[in-house]
Amino acid sequence: MSGEEEENAAELKIPDEFLKAKCLMNCEVALILEHKYEQLQQMSEDPMNQISQVFEKSLQYVKRFSRYKNPDAVRQVREILSRYQLAEFELSVLGNLCPETVEEALAMVPSIKTRGRAHDDDAIEKMLNDLSLIKKFE
Amino acid sequence: MYLKSQLSWNVVIPAENLDAKGLMLKKAIIIHLMDDFAAKKAMKDLGYFLAVTTVERIGEGKVRQHTGDVLFPVDFSCITFKILPGEILEGVVHKILKHGVFLRCGPTEKIYLSHQKMSDYQYVPGENPFFRNDKSSKIEKGVVVRFVVIGEKYVEAEKDFQAVVSLEGDYLGPIS
Repeated sequence: MSGEEEENAAELKIPDEFLKAKCLMNCEVALILEHKYEQLQQMSEDPMNQISQVFEKSLQYVKRFSRYKNPDAVRQVREILSRYQLAEFELSVLGNLCPETVEEALAMVPSIKTRGRAHDDDAIEKMLNDLSLIKKFE
Repeated sequence: MYLKSQLSWNVVIPAENLDAKGLMLKKAIIIHLMDDFAAKKAMKDLGYFLAVTTVERIGEGKVRQHTGDVLFPVDFSCITFKILPGEILEGVVHKILKHGVFLRCGPTEKIYLSHQKMSDYQYVPGENPFFRNDKSSKIEKGVVVRFVVIGEKYVEAEKDFQAVVSLEGDYLGPIS
């Protein structure tokens, strides 16, 4: 974390561990936590012991802020976004905020235009269209 | 941002919980790990600890002198939540003050949006105070707001993160 440059997610200047770590979209976290919640209810005599406040608050949050609920849709979203050479962090921000226009997408994730990747507006538009299709057919 | 992280911790099993049958021991180690994980709550670098997802490896136990407790190195995957400066997030307003509002986002409730960082909004006092701009966009209790993170701070004593956020930027503000 001792970067010489100041952290700034907008420019993808984030700690190394986060660039490499697997970022998760809200909808993915919701699926994992819900599954975990059921598991704990079943196996533990005292489930509340292992369901912390952090867990509970996060579960509430990701349930409310998941754009996709259906597990198949969630998988498809990651699959589609993975085709666009995005960093894990960028992929998750797009999946969480679901921008509707190219302009909005660039405002949410300014780094997709930098780093010398070939993301022209058409490619971004196609990506957003693909995402909205999943939503429509969910 | 939610992250899947890999960690290696030592889990201490008290001597009285040791059992000759391997299966019970494994269960005891996992339950101890999950208790430790929930109790730890958060760390400065990694953020909040949400849940252990998988236990990858349980190493060989080392007996501690004097107590007879056994210490097991455990590798596991877990989900964490960390707020990153520059990141754009959505949260829910839960408190309105004259000089700004507090939002809830993920496990944290201490996300502060100062009036200075939403300067086109005016404070409207009353029983249910709110902020409003001249495009009649309203920030009140329960409203979802999209914001950009300016900075975050870890408070060790409370094991809690605080963040200051802003609405200065395109496509930020309350979401209907």
